[in-house]
Amino acid sequence: MSLVNYATREITCKIVYYGPGRSGKTTNLHYIYGQVPGDRKGQMVSLATQTDRTLFFDFLPIDLGTISGFTTRFQLYTVPGQVYYQTTRKLVLQGADGVVFVADSQARQLGENIESMQDLHANLAEQGVDVRTMPLVLQYNKQDLPAELTTALPELEEALNFRGVPSFAADALHGPGVFETLRGISEIVLRKLSTGRGEG
Amino acid sequence: MALPTSVGWADLPLQRFVDDARVQLAVLMQPSGQVLAQVGFKRSIDVQTVCALSAAINASGDLLGRMVDATPFRVLHHAGREKQFYLGQVPLRDGLLVLLAVFDTESSLGIVQLYLGELQSAVAAAAPPPPPADAAPALAEDFERELNRNLAQLFGRAS
Repeated sequence: MSLVNYATREITCKIVYYGPGRSGKTTNLHYIYGQVPGDRKGQMVSLATQTDRTLFFDFLPIDLGTISGFTTRFQLYTVPGQVYYQTTRKLVLQGADGVVFVADSQARQLGENIESMQDLHANLAEQGVDVRTMPLVLQYNKQDLPAELTTALPELEEALNFRGVPSFAADALHGPGVFETLRGISEIVLRKLSTGRGEG
Repeated sequence: MALPTSVGWADLPLQRFVDDARVQLAVLMQPSGQVLAQVGFKRSIDVQTVCALSAAINASGDLLGRMVDATPFRVLHHAGREKQFYLGQVPLRDGLLVLLAVFDTESSLGIVQLYLGELQSAVAAAAPPPPPADAAPALAEDFERELNRNLAQLFGRAS
């Protein structure tokens, strides 16, 4: 539920980066944080464990500038990926306007990716959100790894992208694909607002 | 839970609360961390971070209370050396909002709680109904060019 202030012409949207543990959700936000000029971003908050695993969430507010006369802001969140943080994932997912599912392309992580996607669907359904109407893009991260260690993109698509949503190959550590992923989810979230289905 | 998604209607009740209760900063937000109204912050982007953290505290306190006492924790008060903060809930007909108030010796917990009651009544009276599913479009249909231009500038890719 994007917030729209018609008086001051401001729009605020909440985007959640979802996916299994260690798939690169926080790395995406770190890369974005490093790219965006200081006057266009807020402080990046990471509620993490001593070993730098996300405990509650990471949060990064960015100012996208003016779009159609509206000052547009995105609030980027990550969820903790580990299975045992189910409760906090649900809390962070509340009120999301769009989801970026960050999959780990490593072959041995395919099962975790599928489990996390099922977890996303279950949590959205529990909150009364129709999964088919939630703006969603997929990111196949860690594409910089040797091919013998990763699952091929067509196989990842077949296993995870049964809705046929936009998907992006990425190497979040070094940047390729991060921008494209953010642009992809931004377009879909804002498209909902441009068709009048963005509220409620 | 269907909450109002427009902004602006809560500005006046919150400003009155700030004046009456003599608090320094106040933010009214949705439980998901979206800002509805704020008084006292200089940068809107800072407010968003404050709201994200406040919403997290509210959500985890609510759940923690349910787990250990079968009753959600609805209020959190912290008394620091110079400043105090109060995190409480503002019920609406179809859900609730979260209030964060920061104050110093100009005010007190009792005063904040006293005027919170008035704020709750004022917000409940001012809250618009949730928007219909077919609300009017907010953005023009051809927004992509501006979006792409702005993102390219953000990422230093503008030509």
